[in-house]
Amino acid sequence: MSKVSRRGFLAGASASAGAIVGASAGAWFGADQAAAAAEIKSQTAVLKRKEKFYGAHQNGIELELQTFTNFVAFDLLDGVDRAAMLRWMSLLTDDIARLTQGDAALADAQPQLALGPARLTATVGFGPAMFEKLGLEHQMPDSFKNLPAFKIDALKSEFSGGDVLIHVSADDPIVLSHAVRRLITDSLGFASVRWSQQGFSNAQGVVPHGVRQRNLMGQVDGTDNPGLATDDFENLVWINDGPNWIQGGTIMVFRRIAMQLNTWDQLGRVEKEQVIGRTLDTGAPLGKANETDVIDFDAVDANGLKVIPDFAHIRRAHAHAPGERFFRRPFNYETGVSADGNPDVGLLWTAYQRNLDTQFIPVQRRLERFDLLNKWTTPIGSAVFAIAKGVQPGQVLAAELFA
Amino acid sequence: MKKIFAALVATLFLTTLTGCAEAKPEAVAEVSIVDGWVRVYEGTEAAGGMTGGFATITNNLDSEITLVGASSESAMMTEVHEVAMVDGKMKMQAKEGGITIAPGETVSLEPGGLHVMLMGLKQPLLIGEEVKITLDFEGTDDVAVVWPAKESLAGDEEYVSNQE
Ligand SMILES: [Cu+2]
Repeated sequence: MSKVSRRGFLAGASASAGAIVGASAGAWFGADQAAAAAEIKSQTAVLKRKEKFYGAHQNGIELELQTFTNFVAFDLLDGVDRAAMLRWMSLLTDDIARLTQGDAALADAQPQLALGPARLTATVGFGPAMFEKLGLEHQMPDSFKNLPAFKIDALKSEFSGGDVLIHVSADDPIVLSHAVRRLITDSLGFASVRWSQQGFSNAQGVVPHGVRQRNLMGQVDGTDNPGLATDDFENLVWINDGPNWIQGGTIMVFRRIAMQLNTWDQLGRVEKEQVIGRTLDTGAPLGKANETDVIDFDAVDANGLKVIPDFAHIRRAHAHAPGERFFRRPFNYETGVSADGNPDVGLLWTAYQRNLDTQFIPVQRRLERFDLLNKWTTPIGSAVFAIAKGVQPGQVLAAELFA
Repeated sequence: MKKIFAALVATLFLTTLTGCAEAKPEAVAEVSIVDGWVRVYEGTEAAGGMTGGFATITNNLDSEITLVGASSESAMMTEVHEVAMVDGKMKMQAKEGGITIAPGETVSLEPGGLHVMLMGLKQPLLIGEEVKITLDFEGTDDVAVVWPAKESLAGDEEYVSNQE
């Protein structure tokens, strides 16, 4: 097959045309046109932003939140074997490679809806049940398994589990919807949709780069995360041993956490800050000025009471060992309002890590035992997925797993 | 030289040719064939079925080329087809004389239009399978392609034979 794309060819043809008029360009391409061009460019800047697809890791993890997201979990159809998985993954790899560049997928019935990249990413992972169905338990990363039951959980099967996950995010809801439809269409020959859960964060341009979003309880979310592109991130998130297919991958914990906003709203600001252990406006630990200030768990006030109460969320969630940390990438969800005005809202919360036993589970055990925030938050969905490493051009996602 | 061209394009065609600034000029093949795929549907679930193959073909030569036929290990017979109005209905049939592509021109083979017809499939077509096809051109060398099989609803034309 030829290596020259149609786009490449057309661009080449235009370049020749450009060279002919290039000499006089400055004369006719005046300030007005330049301003108009800049204006049009800025209007579609969100659409044009692009995340890379090829690399050591899959996209959709080590990057700032996109505005819209959809987690789609699948169950394998009967008879799907490793060879079928490989064919499925080859279709998904090609689709994602195209969609992330803003191009239509092959055989797209509505290619007009591939408006642009809009920072689209799509990440593929596999649940414990898939490994069992395909006899691939020996290929599971160390510590990978279904989470233990936590007594705070009120899990619903329609929000939980799944053999395969495709997690898609973008800064535009139409770009996202179209891409998800393409990826689902190319998956239905191999699997049925078990659940899909949509979420959102702030719109692009609303919060400065590097600033965490606020969740719908009003808290700054994601404080203490390992920084993107840091050694800290590398060491906490990306797996560097075990089977080849997972080296450069990670383990994702997915939790749908419902919020009881009506009762939360009954608390005053000081009470809310005591529950969290942080000030609501800046996200700073109580007694400190800035979000990133080191938490002083021993500080006491004039009455000898702990500034950060024993029940405070940050005291329970704080790492007790240096490795007890993970990367969180939570989106909000809202799926309507009940007749009595209660919104169905919460978080599509994710945690990425190398090892469940040393990272997520011990922290969750502490929160389970004693965290006042549990009164207003309830995990109602839960799943874990092993996220395959990234691909280079010509490779197929998770090919080594199914070969 | 090519870098200078790219820079000019970026300045001049800012508003119309987004994306071209990062287009990498490559050695141009005589014919470029991209976005190829073969359709999976009920008609390909059993051996003996038939289906279409689709792609975008650009003639990079300064002389005309014609896609006159094709061959594939997956099918007993392969033809170049068009969809045309026959007796008041859209039907597909062999394209007389093949598909001619003028110098510099791009032709799209797509559901409901021109296509490569695979007839008498030797085995059921599996979704995601790679289908090997050799496209037989006049005016340039034959081109071997590997197209993925993808599910699609579009392209269910009735087949009429215009061969004697
Ligand atoms: Cu035909």
